[in-house]
Amino acid sequence: MSDIKYKDKGSILNPLKTLQFFARKPVTEPLGPRPATETYRGFHLNDWESCIGCGTCQKVCDNAAITMVHVPEAKEDPIKGIRPLRPAIDYGRCCWCALCVDVCPTAAISLSREYVHVCTEDQLDSYFMLPSADGMHGTPYPEGWTKTPTTDLVDLEREEMPELEPQSRSDNFDEIVAGYDAQHALLEASRCVQCGMCHDACPTHMDAPEYIRSIWEGRPEDAVRWMYQSNPFSHVCGRVCTHRCETACSIGHRGEPIAIRWLKRYAMDAVDHERVKQIAAEGRVQVPTGKRIAVIGSGPAGLTAAFDLVKKGHEVEVFERLEKAGGMPRFGIPEYRLPYDKLDQDIDVITSLGVKIHYQCEIGKDRSMSSLRDEFDAVVLAIGLQLGRSTRIPGSEHIQVKAAVDLLRMITLREPFDIPKSAVVIGGGNVAMDIARSLARLQKQTYGEVQITLTALEPRDQFLADPVEVKEALEEGVTILDSRGPQACRIDDQGRLNGLCTWRVLSIFDEQHRFAPQYDSSDEQFHEGEMVVEAIGQMADVSLLGEDLTEALEWNRGRLKVDEAGRTSEPWLWSAGDCVNGPDVVHAVADGHRVAASIDACLATQDLHEV
Amino acid sequence: MTERELDTHLVTILRELESLEYRQTSPRRVRIDVTREALPGLLELLKGRASYVHLSAISCVDWIEDNEFELVYHLWSYESNHLVSAHTRIPRETARYISVYDLYKPAAFFERDIFEMFGVYFEGSPHMEKFILTEWDGPPPMRKDFDAEAYVQETFNWQSYHPDWLKELEEEGGGVAIRPEEVRR
Amino acid sequence: MRPENYQAQSHPPSNEYELFIGPNHPGIEGNYAFKLKLHGDVVLAGKADGGYLHRGFEKLMEGRLWIQNIALVPRICVPDPVPMEVTYSMAVEDLCGLEVPERAQWLRVLQLELSRIAAHLFTFGGHAATTGMYTTSYWGIADRDLILDLFEALTGGRVYHIFNIPGGTRRDVPPGFLEQVSQTLDYLESRLPDYDNLLFTNQVFITRAKDVGAMTQEQALEWGVTGPNLRATGLAFDVRRDDPYLVYEQLEFDVPTEAAGDAWARAMVRRAELKQSFRILRQVIERLPSIGGPVRAPIPNPLAWNVPAGETYARVESSKGELAYYAVSNGGDKPYRVHVRGPSSMHAVQVLEWLAEGARLEDVAQIMFSLDACPPEVDR
Repeated sequence: MSDIKYKDKGSILNPLKTLQFFARKPVTEPLGPRPATETYRGFHLNDWESCIGCGTCQKVCDNAAITMVHVPEAKEDPIKGIRPLRPAIDYGRCCWCALCVDVCPTAAISLSREYVHVCTEDQLDSYFMLPSADGMHGTPYPEGWTKTPTTDLVDLEREEMPELEPQSRSDNFDEIVAGYDAQHALLEASRCVQCGMCHDACPTHMDAPEYIRSIWEGRPEDAVRWMYQSNPFSHVCGRVCTHRCETACSIGHRGEPIAIRWLKRYAMDAVDHERVKQIAAEGRVQVPTGKRIAVIGSGPAGLTAAFDLVKKGHEVEVFERLEKAGGMPRFGIPEYRLPYDKLDQDIDVITSLGVKIHYQCEIGKDRSMSSLRDEFDAVVLAIGLQLGRSTRIPGSEHIQVKAAVDLLRMITLREPFDIPKSAVVIGGGNVAMDIARSLARLQKQTYGEVQITLTALEPRDQFLADPVEVKEALEEGVTILDSRGPQACRIDDQGRLNGLCTWRVLSIFDEQHRFAPQYDSSDEQFHEGEMVVEAIGQMADVSLLGEDLTEALEWNRGRLKVDEAGRTSEPWLWSAGDCVNGPDVVHAVADGHRVAASIDACLATQDLHEV
Repeated sequence: MTERELDTHLVTILRELESLEYRQTSPRRVRIDVTREALPGLLELLKGRASYVHLSAISCVDWIEDNEFELVYHLWSYESNHLVSAHTRIPRETARYISVYDLYKPAAFFERDIFEMFGVYFEGSPHMEKFILTEWDGPPPMRKDFDAEAYVQETFNWQSYHPDWLKELEEEGGGVAIRPEEVRR
Repeated sequence: MRPENYQAQSHPPSNEYELFIGPNHPGIEGNYAFKLKLHGDVVLAGKADGGYLHRGFEKLMEGRLWIQNIALVPRICVPDPVPMEVTYSMAVEDLCGLEVPERAQWLRVLQLELSRIAAHLFTFGGHAATTGMYTTSYWGIADRDLILDLFEALTGGRVYHIFNIPGGTRRDVPPGFLEQVSQTLDYLESRLPDYDNLLFTNQVFITRAKDVGAMTQEQALEWGVTGPNLRATGLAFDVRRDDPYLVYEQLEFDVPTEAAGDAWARAMVRRAELKQSFRILRQVIERLPSIGGPVRAPIPNPLAWNVPAGETYARVESSKGELAYYAVSNGGDKPYRVHVRGPSSMHAVQVLEWLAEGARLEDVAQIMFSLDACPPEVDR
C-alpha cells in the first residue's frame, strides 16, 4: 500500500532539485541558552517567607535528592507550625519531576526557567544548592513549573463531619458531633503528609503522624497504641482537646487542617474497650518498686501522673473530693461535648492498671497533708482550678450571681436549682460558651424558649472561645454581644436581680499590654436576666494545704512556685495541671507525664523525706 | 467498549479442562488460574485450537510470604482480539518449571529474564544463562528477600558535599538536619 | 560484559572469526553489544549482549510510592517516553478503578502521537545513517527537535516529560498550544517530499534496504514480533485499533502495511504511520477545544495512597510495537511488582539474532535500526 513508486528510477535532473535548498532557511540553533517555556522544569526556587520547613518535599522526592538543612536565621514557631528548616537540593540526584512543587503544602517551592549549570570536577560542591527565591546563580529567572489548582496534589478540604442540627440538639445534652466512620476516617487520615508539626505543637507531644498513618493503613489498634504512649486521656482529648496540633498542621496554611482530634476520637471509638485496656497495660513494669505515691485530684493531670507511675511499678492512691473522678472534663465540660461514658472509659483504663481512687475524700478535712506526707514517698498536687473569679462589680455579691464553674458542676451532679427564665453570662471564653449553651438547653427543656445574653469584653474576632463554639451557641439561640464591659448587676426594690448593665469597651489593654479596660460610659446597655453568671476565669483553692505547709512552701504571685519538672520547694511535693498552668486539658496531661517522670527519677535514687 | 462475547473455541477449551478457573475481568481480558501441571497442556490447546498464537509476555511475581512464585502467561489472539492471562504458582524452594519454548519462541527471552532475575530454572529453555546481569554473582535480584536499597547503601558512597553556604550555616549553629535516607521508607 | 573481563579464546585455524560490536554502536539507540561469528563478511551467527543499560527499574519501582514511579518510567524508553508514562498510569488507574476524565484521554492521545512522530523521525534518521546517508539523520534529529519544543511547552520537559500521572495529566495545554502543534504538523508534512526525495525514493537506499533482514509473516508471528515490524510483513494489527484504549475508538486512522517484511518495508510502514499520526493529531486538534472538564481525576495524597490489591495488564501500541505493563498491588502504597514488557524485548534480541544469520556484515547495523531496537527497554 505504499504510495510512492520506489521502482521509478527518477529523472537525471533529480540532483538539480537539491539546488532549491540554497533558498531555504537553514536550521540554526543559537549558541547561548534559549529561553525556556513558561512551565519549564528548571532549577528550584523556594520562597523562604512561605516555606515552613515541613519536609514534605523531601518525602515525595523519588531520588532522595532533598536534604533538610537547619537555617538558624529562619523563623521558628512550633505553635504556628514553622520550623527553621529549608530544603537543599542535590542536583546530582534531582530529576526535575517537580513532584516537590505539586506536593508542597504551602506552595513555597517552584521550578524556574533556569537550566544551565556548568562546573569543573573540583567544583562538585556547587551541585548541592540551598534554593531561595533568587535563583541558582543569583540571577533572577522567571518561574517555570509552579503550583496551580490542577497540579496541586495536596487535598485542602476536610472530610465532612456529621453533626446534629441545631433544632435537634437545642433541648438536650446529646453529643453533637457524630464522629467519623471507618471510611471517612481513612480518607481524612490519608490527607496527612506526616510532617510532624502537630507532634511539635502538642503540649504532650502525641505521635499524631504515627497514629494517623495507622488509621489510613486500617490498623486502629496500632493507632491506640501510639496514643497511649503519650496520652491516657485519648477519649477526652479526642473530643474536647484544644487541638493545637490542628493550628500547627502544615495543610492548614492553605486549606483545612487534618481533623487530628476527630481521628483520635475515631480510633478510640473503633477499638473495643477491653482491648484498649490491654494495649494501655503494655510495657508495664511487673516487679513492684514498693514506693507509694499519693495524688490529690483525679483530673487529667493527676490521673495521667498516676497512670505513668503505676506503669513504672509504683503504688498510687488518688484522693478525690467529689463522688466521681475526672475533674474539669467531667464537672466543667457539658455532656453534649463530652459524654460521661467516654470519660468513664478513660478512667476505667487507668484504674484497671491498679490505680486506687478514694472518692469523697477531701484533703484538709478527711485527711491532712501531713498524714499523706508521712504515709507516702511522694505527693502530687493536681487540684485544678475550681473557684470562679468574680467581676466584683456592684451587686455581684447577690445570690443569683453565680460562678460558671459552680453551675456546671451542679448540672453534672444533677443538683437541682431554679432555672432562670432569662440569664446574662459574662465572659467570652469556652467556659462562658459552655454555661450559656447548657443554660440554653435547660431553658428550652423547661420553658420551651431560650433567653440568654452573653457579653464579652473582646470584639468578636478576638474571642478566646473556639469559633465553632461561638457559631453553635448562636445557632442554639444565645444572644452574643461583643465589646461590652460589665458595670453593675441591677437589683430591684425587693432585692431581686433584674439584670446587668454594660458599657461599650474602647480598649482592653493599656500601652504596656496590661489589663486595663477603657469604656465609653455614654453607651450603656441593660441586659435583662434573673441570673447573672460570671465566667471570667478560675483560680485554685489551696486552703487544703494547711497553714504550716502554706508557710513553708515558696510562692510566686499567689501561685505555688514549681521547678521545670513541677516540683515544689518541698522535696516530697509536686504540683501539676491547671493549678500550675491555667486551664487546658492536654496541657494537664503533659504536666502529669512531666511530674511522673520526675518523681520516678527521684525515687530511684533517693528517699525524699531525707533530702 | 462494548461487552464482547468470548469466542466459542476458548470457552470450549476452558470448560473441557478440569483444574482451572477462569473469569472475564474486562471485555477483552480473561484471567485463568491453573495448576502448574495443567498449564503446558492448556497453552498447547490455546495455541492449537483457539488461535492464541502470540505470547505477549511471561511475568513472574515473588510471593515470598506464600513461599511461591507466580508465573503469568499473557496470550493474545489476533483473531478474537482477547488477552488471556494464565496464572500458575510454583514452589519457591525448588524454583523449577517447564519451558514453553517449543510452543512459543518468545518464551526463551522471558524465561531467561525470569531465570536471571528470580532464579527460576526452566527445563528445556534454550538459554538458561546470563544476559543482562553478566557480572552479577549475588542472589537473583528481583526476589523479595534481596534488598536493593540496602545493597546500594553498603556498596556505594553518597556524594559528600560541603559547599561554602553550608559551612557558613554550620558556623552560625545550623547545618544538615534531616538527610534524605532518613525519611525513606 | 566489561571489556576487561573479555577473555580472548583461541580457535583452531579456520576462515571464521568473531567480531564484537558495541556497546557503543551506531546501529542502535543506547548501549548494546552484538557478538558475531563471521565467515568473510557473512554472518554465521549473532548473539545479542544486553545489560549495559540495566538500571533495575522494576526493582526500584517496588521500593517507591506509586506516584514516584512516574519519574522513572519514561527512562525505560528514551526515544519514545510517552507510552511508558501512559501505560504505567493506565495500569494504576485500572487497579484503583480510577476514571480518567475525557479531556485527559484526548491529551494523552495528543502526546502519544507526537511521541510516535518524534520516535519515527529518529528511527528514519538512524536507519538512513546505517546505510551511509547521514543527511537524513541530521534532518530527522532537527525535525524531531520541533516536537521536543512542543513537549517543552506542554510538559515543561523536553525528553522526560513526566506529565501523565495516574488519574490524568498534570496540566492542561498552555494557551496557543494547539495552534503551535498545527503549525508544526504543517511544517512536518511539507517536509515529507524532501524525505521522499532524499531517502524513500532514493535508489541507493532502496537497493541497500530491499531484501535485507526479511522475515515472513509466519516467522514474525512465531517470533512474537509486533508493531511496525509485524505490519511490514502484511498483518494489519495495531493495539490502538484492535485492543483500543483511551479514545482511539473515536478516531479515524488506517493501519498501514507492507508485504515484503524486509528493512525497506519496515521503513515504509513507519513513513506511512507518520501520515496516520498527522491525521490523528489533526482530529485531536479539532476535537480537544470542545471537550471540557478537568484533566485529572481527584487522586489521594500521594504520600498515603494505598492501591487496592489486584493485578492488571495494561497494553498500548508504542512506536516500536506492543508495550505492556503487568502491575501487581498487594494493597500497599508501593507496587508489589511491575513487569515491563517492552516491544524491543523481542525484536532487539532473539529476532535480531535470527535475522542476522546469513546477513552480510555491512547490513547488520541496518537490520538493528530497521527493527527499531531500543536497548533501554530490553535492559530496564
